[in-house]
Amino acid sequence: MSSSLIIGQYVPGNSIVHRLDPRTKITVIFFFVFIVFFANSVLSYTTLTVFALVTVIITKIPIRFIMKGLTPVWFLIIFTFILHLIVTKEGTVLFDIFGFNIYTGALIQGFAISMRFFLLILVTSLLTLTTTPIEITDAIEEMLHPLKKIKFPVHELALMMSISLRFIPTLLQETEKISRAQASRGVDFKTGPLKERIKAVVPLLVPLFVSAFKRAEELAMAMEARGYQGGEGRTKLRELKIEKIDIAVYILFTLVIAIVLYTRS
Amino acid sequence: MRSKRTLFLIEVAIFAALAYLLDIIPFLSFKIWAQGGSVSLAMIPIFIVAFRWGLKGGLLSGLLWGVLQVAIGPASIYYFWQGVIEYGFAFTVLGLAGIFAKPVQRAIKDGKTKTSFLYIMLGVFIGSAFRFIAHFAAGIVFFAEFAPEGQPVWLYSLVYNCSYMVPSFIICTLVVSFLFNKQPRTLLSAA
Repeated sequence: MSSSLIIGQYVPGNSIVHRLDPRTKITVIFFFVFIVFFANSVLSYTTLTVFALVTVIITKIPIRFIMKGLTPVWFLIIFTFILHLIVTKEGTVLFDIFGFNIYTGALIQGFAISMRFFLLILVTSLLTLTTTPIEITDAIEEMLHPLKKIKFPVHELALMMSISLRFIPTLLQETEKISRAQASRGVDFKTGPLKERIKAVVPLLVPLFVSAFKRAEELAMAMEARGYQGGEGRTKLRELKIEKIDIAVYILFTLVIAIVLYTRS
Repeated sequence: MRSKRTLFLIEVAIFAALAYLLDIIPFLSFKIWAQGGSVSLAMIPIFIVAFRWGLKGGLLSGLLWGVLQVAIGPASIYYFWQGVIEYGFAFTVLGLAGIFAKPVQRAIKDGKTKTSFLYIMLGVFIGSAFRFIAHFAAGIVFFAEFAPEGQPVWLYSLVYNCSYMVPSFIICTLVVSFLFNKQPRTLLSAA
């Protein structure tokens, strides 16, 4: 079971994109998602597409792998495209299929909206593909730092996030172990009507929660034994640093934004 | 007091991880919804934290679960604000079930099964209802652009989100109240 279930999408690698500061990646993606909605001409769309595709190539992640991750989205993209073909009635009639007139405007608009969709999903998934969850956590903690002034528990949230991430594989193993143990006693999780399956889940949940409580208590004790007392004065193993390459990326991306704004009609 | 604080942080974190996990284990959830959303047991850990630690614990673990989905995937985010609402806000408000933490705990300690069931149902309902509102609103605002003109978007959003929230609500109420009544010591001690 564990082999077929991939947790997280991170693909290890050593490309420039992988090594970028996670804060840079998050910032760029944030503005990319924003700027995509400004694109409305062939040139501006092309600029964004080229930027996205070049980034994909630089990451050296197999295209097939990325496309596989996008499978659930394809349906939505194609659906959107077809919908626009049928509904939009602008421009001249190109041809008709089964009594539906397909207009040029519809073709263009459908393509543009689908492309926008595709770009959004592609670029946002690049973040999780090239950045470990721990790096994302660190970046979020740094970026939310100003919120500390209004007493928002930034440090606590980041700590909890790291603990969650650390425990997901452990708890997954635990779940497997318990479900096997219960299956050997005759509990059937995988077949039968919904009602029976929900009932079957209780003997799985009880030991799972009990062990989760136990683990929490042990970890709390271990942390206190090592002197944990909140965020004040805590230091980090991994420090985030903005390098030259990050600055280069910011400059390049500003250029992309400028081109998009300039070429939009 | 210190020790309780650390334990609180860790328990909230671990139960958020459990929620994430219960949502992605194939044989435990039923994912047939194309644009995200599933009938699963995943909300149960959040409600347990909410009833165990109260409002703050519930809200925090909910928020964490949402953030986990964004950080590790899979999350269906198409717009920035849609992401904030559907992953930041929607899961956090599940913790509102924690308003009833005190009555639930008291009822269970006194062995009043029916009263505790009622309060648990109320709590789970409030959490689910707010989560539903978030998804419903996001559906109208953000998915409308992709829907054709003239189609009632609100109806689509209503049906779509109800189709998984209603079964989830029923399942969560039953399982959570069953767990609290069968295992009161494990779930309430130390809290």
